[in-house]
Amino acid sequence: MNYIEKTIKKGIKLHILNTDKFKTNLVAVFLTTKLEKETVTPNALISAILRRGTNNLKTQEEISKKLEELYGASFDCGIDKTGDNQVLKFYIQTINDDYIPQQEENMLKTSIENIFDIVFNPLTEKEGFKKEYVDQEKKNMKQRIEGRVDNKARYALDRCIEEMYKDKPYGLYKFGDVNSLENIDENNLYKTYKKLIDECKIDIFISGNINNEVEDIIKENENIKKLKERDAKYNTTSEKPEDKKGEVTEKMSVTQGKLVMGLDLNIQNEDEKYYTLVYNNILGGSANSKIFQNVREKASLAYSAGSSYFKYKNNIFINCGIEISNYEKAVELIKAQIEDMKNNNFTNEELENAKNSIIATIKIIDDEQDTLIIYYFGQELSNNKITIEDYIKKIEEIKREDILNIANKVEITTIYFLRD
Amino acid sequence: MKVIENSKVKEKLYFEQLENGMPIMIIPKSGMRKKYLIWGTNYGSNDNIFVVPGENKEIEVPNGVAHFLEHKMFEQENGTNSLDVLTSLGVEANAYTTNDHTAYLFECTTNFYEAMDELMDYVQNPYFTDENVEKEKGIIGQEIMMYDDYPDWKVYLNAMQAMYHNNPIKIDVVGTIETISKIDKDVLYKCYNTFYNQSNMAMVICGDFEPEKLLEEIKKRLKPTKTNGEIKRIYPEEPENIVQEKIEQKMEVSQPMYTIGIKDKPTTNNGKELVKKDLAIQILLELIIGKSSNLYKKLYDDGIIYGGIRGSNEFSKTYAHILISGQSENPEKVFDMFKNEVQNFKANGINSENFNRIKKKLYGEYVEQYNDVSDIAGMFLADYFKGINSFDYVNEIGNINIEYLIQILNDIFKEEKMVISVIR
Repeated sequence: MNYIEKTIKKGIKLHILNTDKFKTNLVAVFLTTKLEKETVTPNALISAILRRGTNNLKTQEEISKKLEELYGASFDCGIDKTGDNQVLKFYIQTINDDYIPQQEENMLKTSIENIFDIVFNPLTEKEGFKKEYVDQEKKNMKQRIEGRVDNKARYALDRCIEEMYKDKPYGLYKFGDVNSLENIDENNLYKTYKKLIDECKIDIFISGNINNEVEDIIKENENIKKLKERDAKYNTTSEKPEDKKGEVTEKMSVTQGKLVMGLDLNIQNEDEKYYTLVYNNILGGSANSKIFQNVREKASLAYSAGSSYFKYKNNIFINCGIEISNYEKAVELIKAQIEDMKNNNFTNEELENAKNSIIATIKIIDDEQDTLIIYYFGQELSNNKITIEDYIKKIEEIKREDILNIANKVEITTIYFLRD
Repeated sequence: MKVIENSKVKEKLYFEQLENGMPIMIIPKSGMRKKYLIWGTNYGSNDNIFVVPGENKEIEVPNGVAHFLEHKMFEQENGTNSLDVLTSLGVEANAYTTNDHTAYLFECTTNFYEAMDELMDYVQNPYFTDENVEKEKGIIGQEIMMYDDYPDWKVYLNAMQAMYHNNPIKIDVVGTIETISKIDKDVLYKCYNTFYNQSNMAMVICGDFEPEKLLEEIKKRLKPTKTNGEIKRIYPEEPENIVQEKIEQKMEVSQPMYTIGIKDKPTTNNGKELVKKDLAIQILLELIIGKSSNLYKKLYDDGIIYGGIRGSNEFSKTYAHILISGQSENPEKVFDMFKNEVQNFKANGINSENFNRIKKKLYGEYVEQYNDVSDIAGMFLADYFKGINSFDYVNEIGNINIEYLIQILNDIFKEEKMVISVIR
């Protein structure tokens, strides 16, 4: 694998990941902007509008037909919160020319042109987006936001984050809110889009068995030529959560209670993020972890029990699906595990196992095409470039004191419980 | 080993059938750091009534045993749990149960042989006690309750209730709190001894390996076993007609969820024919209700659906059906419009331009499945238990013509075989 980074214009970067491990080429365009109450909803809606039509392919149907023609090129778009940023992600994946039964058009070139067409050349009417599309997608977006309750475990996690970051950017739902949708129309949305495209950070990733011509294809592309230089407006730091929030209980018709505990810690430098990764693995990140072993295997309180580390926010979230009457028992048991970590009650074996399992996940980064892109994008946003080999070395060097240091910084901020 | 090469995806399958009948399939992927091993038995939640080889009495076991057994296999006599041991080795281990097979697997970058030692050891040495069986009931009980909160799982299960009278596909893989309460160690041993015989199992490995060398390593770790002889499995007689056209349940959902089912019957054809039929159904689903179809456009533009519609063709040796799922304010309208569109296709035939384009789409999607080491191994195992060689999908797409598609359309997409399940 060979990684090259090029600045196309100020604020617009091209990342080329040359690898022969895959049968496909994957092209991604990420638009990164500040997560803000005023723009979170329109931005989410923009991503839905863009896939409806371009000035060349005017309907969804035409776009779908074009993609099918390209041997089922898959187009995908999504919205993510990465730290205090909102990221609009667009992907197109096509099979590499080596696997096409008969040589036709240059698949990579066509797919690059298509994704740029979708992102940078949307169908417009007068001074706005097509009204019909905006009206439909507003309705769909409303459904989507309300549809949050359909996945109870995911909903509980989102709600815990919301409580923890009340009135702060990270507390915003990535698709925005229903009320803000009402004031959006085809004209003001198009203005928001123009502003976004002019000011956001743009990253273009191309991964696959590709040659040097790809850089020219991009530089010569009309849609790219039209883009202005910019001082990209995005957040490189992020706000801390509110002080201790305490316990929040919410009622909904559920069979099983969903418990989420939000933990916060103050991190001084990049190395401490690596320590936290290992700390989290020992606490709740694997089948060997304290939480999985004690809450599930020993106490039989849960089937799903674990924790994850959100490195952009330096939070750990502990998730558990439990019998509603076992709430206190589960909370106490989890708190005891956090205390255990503080009191140096973890074995060398637990530490080594955690390091090994993290190293294993690092080693497979370049075996997965989308993971590889996300890895480099994360580095781009945090401005911390480290090769996979150095990353592994960092983990290998972690010692007990490093973990203890983290254990003593961890604080429970919010305990959220969804029950009937 | 027999080598089967596929020039379309440029991969090779090394195949060896052991004397006891167990196949070992190795797909080498040079340059990949990820290695994946999956060992499965042709035993799932549908296999509830059977005759233990060597005996002559039929026995019936409680629903959910195959899945319960999967959970308990990790327990070792020396007090350790194999999932912990594997995790300690830095490998990602897991297991799953479907209606027709159960599989144990791990993914790793280092310690492959150590992990293989552990996996092959625990799958070949069960250790069930009254105590460890009781303890698991609490954990699985929570797993069952977790699924109770998944409307998308309920809408699927209800569709099965509407289609099937007796076929065990209608029961939940995990069983119910009530059925698992009846499980004890004797039942588990009985099922283990019947179905976990090597002659009923298959193994697939994918990663950067020399196949012949790897095969020797696997053989070293296999316990010599006597072949059980054929396991007589008894499946209740299933009428061809459906149970009821509509089924509905209330749950907390933002917008109704629906699954439309089309009941089909299992075919006894050989692998290539099964693949052709599967592909034909997938092409038809794309043409009728896929992203570029007229129906999808109409449903989307009229605001009847939002987001996607998932179409899939599910089958094993004992059942076959087509499912179409999504969310809509008015699922009955989707159902009516779908039935109508099927009639239109029957009346007007199939446009060859659309047909060729959808074939290209599916071809690309099958090639894409050869990107990932774990996807490849999982696919070869699941297909094997259906009697299919996965390579046949890319091979057979080219052989499908419109005449065949029309035949499948008329044979399978019948209104009297369609059901709709709704959660609102």
